Formats: sequence, structure tokens, C-alpha cells
Amino acid sequence: MSLQADSNDPTVPSLERLLLAVAQGRDQQAFRALFQHFAPRVKGYARKLGADDGAAEELVQDVMLTVWQRADTFDPDLASAATWIYTIARNRRIDRIRQERRPELHPDDSMLDGDGAPPPDHQVQAAQEASRLRAVIGDLPPEQAEVLRLAYYEDKVHSEISVEQGIPLGTVKTRLRLALVRLRRAFGEEA
Amino acid sequence: MPAHHPAPELLFDYAAGSLREVQALLVASHLAYCAECRRRVAELEACGGVLLEEVAAEPVSDGLLDAVLAKLADAPAALPPQPATPPPNGILPGPLHRALGGSMGGALDGVDWVRIVPGIHLSGWSLGVGTASACLLRMAAGASVPAHRHTDHEMLLVLTGAFSDEFGRYRVGDVASYDPDTPHHAVADRDGECVCLLVQDKPLVFTGALGWLLNRGFRF
Ligand SMILES: [Zn+2]
Repeated sequence: MSLQADSNDPTVPSLERLLLAVAQGRDQQAFRALFQHFAPRVKGYARKLGADDGAAEELVQDVMLTVWQRADTFDPDLASAATWIYTIARNRRIDRIRQERRPELHPDDSMLDGDGAPPPDHQVQAAQEASRLRAVIGDLPPEQAEVLRLAYYEDKVHSEISVEQGIPLGTVKTRLRLALVRLRRAFGEEA
Repeated sequence: MPAHHPAPELLFDYAAGSLREVQALLVASHLAYCAECRRRVAELEACGGVLLEEVAAEPVSDGLLDAVLAKLADAPAALPPQPATPPPNGILPGPLHRALGGSMGGALDGVDWVRIVPGIHLSGWSLGVGTASACLLRMAAGASVPAHRHTDHEMLLVLTGAFSDEFGRYRVGDVASYDPDTPHHAVADRDGECVCLLVQDKPLVFTGALGWLLNRGFRF
């Protein structure tokens, strides 16, 4: 948890501020507001990934409960609220619906010395990066956007995309790598 | 910083959540050594966040918020601490440490080994999900893995020591990836043993006169 993060700081965008209020004050009003915003999106995400209505709502409950319990691990320097909740929804879905474990790196897991903190140039507000990223995703050529959509929303690894779409694997990889180059520009990096 | 990374597609599949457990174990373990790939994954997770904001929202049933609020009252204020962070100076990265059951004390003392040929052992421990499997591969100093063919993808993540093949040299944290039907001959450095996490999409099939015998030694 970043020391700079403060739920009273008006420059932090509101969803992030709500999460910090849950983390610091166990604020139920803030939690309700987060629920109103994210529950229908998490449900939409689960439905897209093939869950039926009941399973999707169970996932929503699971995710929102995890948000309440893990809010203290949210760091607005590292991720936007949507990104943080996306990772929870992704992992809980793998666990519940695909019934596999999700091998994850924990914050203390680094095998390198002294790289626990994000690099200084990454302390930019993650929420600002998100708006640049949104623009880049919106501008992707359709065939590149499709590869992203299939991976995030249809649980397809790139080799499955190749088989199911009847596209050579090399073409899928090329489209994906082109999309990744564009996405990286949203973070101000040359790929 | 590692010199050999998982393919960009693999990091992408990992961040999107479509990568299956066995391959994800290797990627997550590599991340413990690699700040660069950690940053790549964080960027792709930000992409997931944007897509979550843009997904068609589905209204939830009326009682769902109340059901969750009722559970908050029962839920502990915070989850119990995450299980099993490996001890400092251990040789196992956290995700692998947990996959092995978190009981190794960060070392390999508790692993039992099955000898394949002199100098080459595979761990009795393995993780199999679907068509993929993971286990540990131990090469004695200077030992080489016997010739084998594979019908699918194979990856190695170096945990201790180093090895070389016709494509390069791999040190701790490095990932070697082999496409199906790519002949390769891993040879451990002469100055010490090399232990790797080995991930395959299908079991190895050894070729040659020893093949029949060797294949019986595998415990995938
Ligand atoms: Zn890497």
C-alpha cells in the first residue's frame, strides 16, 4: 500500500477513492457505490465468458466479497480500480468456473534484490494510463481487436484462436504482436 | 535480469487469463526473476481493466447487493495472509514453492527424484492439468538430456545452475521454449548441477534404443 495514497486526496479519481475508503475505513457506502459500478460489469464479463446467469451472479458475489476483504492490497500507483478488479474477476473465474488454480506472483515473491517498488517512471497515475489505453484499443484495426477480444472474453489461448478461426498460427501471432506494440505506446514505451 | 523470456503471446495469454494452469505456473515463476515481464503483464492487465469497463454491463438481480452486504458482516475484516511465501534466499520462486505444497523451505531437500539416465533425474512431484504437465528436471554437472522428440510444446525455466543448447545459454530465471519437433540438446554447465522447471504439453517420448525403457521411467 502506497504511503502517498489518501482517500481524501481529491486528485485521485473517484473509483480509486472509493476503494481506498473501503480499505481504510471499511466504508459500506463506498462499497455500495463500487458494487453499483462494477457488479454489472463483472457479470457481463462472466456471461461473455460463457457462465450462465446463476454462475455469473455467484462470481459477482465472490469478486465483490474479495474486493471488500482485499481492499488494503489495492495500490493506485500500480493499477486503476478497474484493472485491480479485473485481476480479481479473472482469477476467481479461473478458480470457480474453470476449476483450476491460478499461479500468481505475490508481492513478496521477487527473487531480485530491491525491486519491490515500482520504477520511478511508473508512479504515474494508473488511471491516466487507462484513458490512453482506451483510446489505443478503440483505434486497433478490427482483426487485432478481435484477437484481444477472443483472449480476454472467450478464454482462448492464441493457438486455440488459430484453430477455431481457421487462421494460421503465425498470422494470429503477428496480429497479436502488432496489437501489443500499439498497446505499449499507451505506456509511453517503444516496443 | 533474465536474458530469455517467455514468448509475448504467453505473457498475453497469462494476463488475459486464458493460459492454462501448468503453463501459467512457469510464467508466474519467471515473473519472480523478471521485472521487465512483470511490467509487461501489468500493462496487459491494465488492458483487461479497460475491457472490463467496456464490456456490456448485465443488470444483476435486485437482492444481490443485499446478499453481499449480509456476507460482509460475517466475512473476516481481511483474508488470512496469503499462503506460503518462500523464505528469503530460497531457490524456489513463490508460485512454484506454493505449487509444491509450500513445505520445501525454499530448497529442494524434500523432492524425491526418479533417475532417467545417469546424471538426469525427474522429480516425483508433477502437476498435470489437461494435456500439459510440469515437473522438475535435474541435470548433473556436464550431463546432457538424452535425445527425445516431442509432439508438442516444451519449456524450461532455470532454477539453479545453467545449461546450454544449440540456441543459447540459459541461467537462473531464463526460459527456454521449444516448438514441437524442434530437436534440441540441453547440456548442463560443467561447474555444477542445473535444476529446471520443465513444462510440456504432452509427455516426452524418447527415441532410440533406450526409448522404450526410458519412457517407462516417466511418471507423468
Ligand atoms: Zn522476462
